[in-house]
Amino acid sequence: MISLFIDTSNSDVSIAVCNDDVILANICDSIPNMHSVYVVPYLEKIVNEAGIDFSDIDKIMVVNGPGSFTGIRIGLTVAKILGYCLNKSIIPVSSLKALALSSSGDYIMSIIDARNDNYYIGFYDRYYNEIIPEHFANIEEINDLLLKYDDVCLVSNSELNINNYIVNKVSYDVLNIVNYYKDEEEIDAHNLKSNYLKLPQAVCDHNDK
Amino acid sequence: MKDIYCLAIESSCDETSMSIVKNGVEEVATVVLSQIDIHKTYGGVVPEVASRSHVESITIVLDEVLNKANMTMDDIDIIGVTYGPGLIGSLLIGLQAAKTLAMLYHKPLVPVHHIAGHIYANNLEERLKFPLIALVVSGGHTDLIYMKEDYSFERIGSTLDDAVGEAYDKVAKVLGLSYPGGPLIDKLAMQGADTYNLPYPLDDSSYNFSFSGLKSAVVNLVHNEKQRGCEIRIADMAFSFQKRVVTVITKKTMKAIAEYNVKNLVIAGGVAANNGLRSKMVELIKDKNIKLSIPRIKYCTDNAAMIGAAAYYAYKKGIVADLYLNAKATDSLYND
Repeated sequence: MISLFIDTSNSDVSIAVCNDDVILANICDSIPNMHSVYVVPYLEKIVNEAGIDFSDIDKIMVVNGPGSFTGIRIGLTVAKILGYCLNKSIIPVSSLKALALSSSGDYIMSIIDARNDNYYIGFYDRYYNEIIPEHFANIEEINDLLLKYDDVCLVSNSELNINNYIVNKVSYDVLNIVNYYKDEEEIDAHNLKSNYLKLPQAVCDHNDK
Repeated sequence: MKDIYCLAIESSCDETSMSIVKNGVEEVATVVLSQIDIHKTYGGVVPEVASRSHVESITIVLDEVLNKANMTMDDIDIIGVTYGPGLIGSLLIGLQAAKTLAMLYHKPLVPVHHIAGHIYANNLEERLKFPLIALVVSGGHTDLIYMKEDYSFERIGSTLDDAVGEAYDKVAKVLGLSYPGGPLIDKLAMQGADTYNLPYPLDDSSYNFSFSGLKSAVVNLVHNEKQRGCEIRIADMAFSFQKRVVTVITKKTMKAIAEYNVKNLVIAGGVAANNGLRSKMVELIKDKNIKLSIPRIKYCTDNAAMIGAAAYYAYKKGIVADLYLNAKATDSLYND
């Protein structure tokens, strides 16, 4: 079974083509603010390197958030157009869970910087079940969770220092992510949505009025 | 000669639109998904909200336009896309869609400047005749452009601050009108009179425009009248404001027509729908043997059909991008 994995939700762009337990081709490149230029050419390159045609792809997986709003949309737009044109449904992947799947531990907390001392967090057990739903959180909340649970493995897509907790940057374990998600629910291109976990600022301000 | 079908994509602001255009002149099918009702809540376009909406509807619009045209992607020869100027987050959705389609189907990717699209909207009504002067007036632009031939643009004047449509919307907001207020001002002006003493904006010998001073004058006047407890006569204010805008725009356009010795005038962009502007222009060119082209309203506002029309001529000129094409929030169409 051939899977295409796309993540453009943070500064590292990750695109991979896997055939069951083999990575046929992949790229992971840090291109902050240049996603709109490189994602499509990278995708073409990876599919060519994998020696397949787009029509050979069985599963399209795309990270639909959380992360950079613009970044999320770039990958999602590409995946939706691919899905529509290839007549394939798409499996949305959580960036937080993808980080957890690239690590292991009794408890795993994935933390993605959302700026201004805010973070997107996911909290999982050793089987990657969600202990609490993924959400937008502040430092205090992260602190409380870390005081409540022992031996939490902290992972992120960037180096973070949160109240002296050092959070390590992990590289994606693409095979583990793809194998975990291969049987997850598929959504057709028209209905696939982003998972921002945060409203636009203007909407927050409007709602506060 | 083989027919060329262009699939065109436009997402530069708050409309997700796709169109299939044959040979740059014939609109086969167009879908425009307007987000206006969403943005009304906020009194204007919120860029992040617009971007979110574009990505949600992108494949739905593609599906609809192909169905409407009864065509498949295999029938498409070129892919035209607005690469700028506009809201960057919005532009990126149409651009990524266009790039993905160009990659999948190995079709030429033609980058189209949004303003070129507005001008070529007229080409869908009647083939453009050159040389011409184009007056592009919209919520984002106020430009005077000289075109010697197809897809050759020389900007001879532009706004130094607010675009004309932007000034309309801001004045409308001060007058308590709903968004978008431009068309409402135009309507109200029909029942008003020139009673408010407002300045004529940048009424000089240049081809440039400036509307922020006039806009501020309205804002201050409204504020002062309110403080004095006087009621604003909205229709009169609308008339007084519109008269000054239209007077200066049409005067400079007439000067350009004379100086560049052209017989063809094209008005394009959302504000081309303005009745005050249309009637004044018609009045000024009367008996002057000048051909005036103004597209129908559906081609004035943002739509992909105009992008498809422009893309054909860009393609004929050899303008084709590779898959590294990026969107640009601000970009000059011209050689300046």
